[in-house]
Amino acid sequence: MDVGKKVITRRDFIRVGSCLTVGSLMGLPIMGRVSAKQSEKSRVILIREKEVFDSRGQLSETVLENMLDEAVTALMDAPDASSAWKQLVKPTDIVGIKTNVWFHLPTPEPLEAAIWNRLLEVGVKKENISADDRGILGNSVFERSTVLINVRPMRTHHWSGLGTLLKNYIMFVPHPWMYHGNACERLGAIWQLPHVRGKTRLNILVMLTPLFHGVGPHHFSSRYMWPYSGLIVSRDPVAADATGARIIQAKRNVFFGTEKPISPPPLHIAAASTQFGLGNSRADQIQLVKLGWKEDLLI
Amino acid sequence: MKKVLLILLIFQTLGYSSLMMMQKSHADELEGLSAVLPSQVGVWTAEPKDRIYDTDTIFSYIDGAGEVYRAYNMRSCLSRRYSSSNSPAIVLDIFDMGTSEDAFGVFTHDQDGSHVDVGQGGLYRPGWLSFWKGKYFVSIYVEEETAPAKKAMGELAKVVASLIRKQGSKPGILLNLPQEGLQSRSIRYLHHHALLNYHFYLADGNILNLDQHTDAVLAVYQRSGKRAHLLLVSYPNVAQATEAHKTLLLHYLPEAKSTGAVLLEDGKWSATGLKSKFLTVVLEADSRPLAEDLLREVLQNLS
Repeated sequence: MDVGKKVITRRDFIRVGSCLTVGSLMGLPIMGRVSAKQSEKSRVILIREKEVFDSRGQLSETVLENMLDEAVTALMDAPDASSAWKQLVKPTDIVGIKTNVWFHLPTPEPLEAAIWNRLLEVGVKKENISADDRGILGNSVFERSTVLINVRPMRTHHWSGLGTLLKNYIMFVPHPWMYHGNACERLGAIWQLPHVRGKTRLNILVMLTPLFHGVGPHHFSSRYMWPYSGLIVSRDPVAADATGARIIQAKRNVFFGTEKPISPPPLHIAAASTQFGLGNSRADQIQLVKLGWKEDLLI
Repeated sequence: MKKVLLILLIFQTLGYSSLMMMQKSHADELEGLSAVLPSQVGVWTAEPKDRIYDTDTIFSYIDGAGEVYRAYNMRSCLSRRYSSSNSPAIVLDIFDMGTSEDAFGVFTHDQDGSHVDVGQGGLYRPGWLSFWKGKYFVSIYVEEETAPAKKAMGELAKVVASLIRKQGSKPGILLNLPQEGLQSRSIRYLHHHALLNYHFYLADGNILNLDQHTDAVLAVYQRSGKRAHLLLVSYPNVAQATEAHKTLLLHYLPEAKSTGAVLLEDGKWSATGLKSKFLTVVLEADSRPLAEDLLREVLQNLS
């Protein structure tokens, strides 16, 4: 390797008094770079509704749509959902909805449909809206997009520790594996690419049935999902991910009966803040608004 | 100039062709195995078509985790689903890793779970059974564990292990590890920087110059209530080992040049030594004597 390159080592983490746990890694001032927007607190809405699942575990589309409306309204401090969405998009916008199709835990179709409906209500033309995941690089709406809406379920992930909103943009590069090094720490760089930068207006981290632990090549077992019944909504993807990460960490500790750090540590969340200036990861920089069901909130 | 380009093109084509032929031959072996796999396990019936993945298509199957198998030089993967009308499917994945060393290596990537007597080493965690035998790493997985599914997974594992005739050897580098206090379930055999960081985060850059051609083993020791992490790396030649040692000293242990063992900021000790093409690092030890003893013992074993 290049001997002149500045290397961040384990000893740098030890020096700042950290052990390698998710809580302590988030927001480490490694590079000391803070963008202007990071000087303000990031507003994050956590909404939960127990009734989003019925007694048979079926998802209620109506409750989910109401949750989205309530969260976006609160986020934008608007009188109603319609006004809130008008603050986010204009009728002339071309909107790419970046979903996630991982078959064990995809972005729920009713949520995708609710976003479509709100965009249409604002006046965005149908032909200027597209929801996609793995085909975004060849998708003409995404290529022409002026606005991106990022929506995906939260889960643990083999390489990045967590499958987050930040990670959801890995399909914007032709060779995703090039970002797998060091627990995908450099994912924030993708958000700086010309076809991505500055377009994201809304981030929705789906916490309906998060996956808090993974096993095997497929990294999935239904044993490690639970009906948290929530959504985390924010303009700041880093703050939304950091909030979701704290919930996942808390759930792991409760489930395993001991501190069970997310493995590998999701370095990309802190790095998105400290190295790429994409938002705030530290709890004291996040204004967390909790709505709805409070039982077993974990945060 | 044209001649040179032509020769280069021929070599490139030959190289590509031999790579394709190698992949094909591994796929052929898996197809042979596929032909003799059981079509029924308990109430589960094999779905009509097996799938075979190569180093590119594996990502479409298991998402980003495919990189782990690539990092262990995976050649191909056979996947078969066993389904039942009222039980979750059982998924059998057989990875041809090319060598028994890499089959063992990928097995050590996840050492959680309880021991299962199958193949040359097996482990069971809720919903997932894995084992290695010869050049194959085998994973049997069920989305939702039930008692009959667990039983069927065990039976299937035994059958698959019996169909893999040839046993394989573990990586030779393991023989250099001191035995006293070695936590056998902590052993990770690997080649790549990303995998080392997965198990023990060392640095964002590849300061040990690990790659496809380096063999590394990471292990935990426990002696008299004190604990240590040891890393031993074998490089292709002395020059590369020396260069990696220099980079390690430069970025991670600059004090080691003058003090030998280094007291880290969290009160633990680190020590490093170079012998021939082998680089040894005691990454973190609870005491200086433990760091120095482990280093000395490895260097003796390398003699």
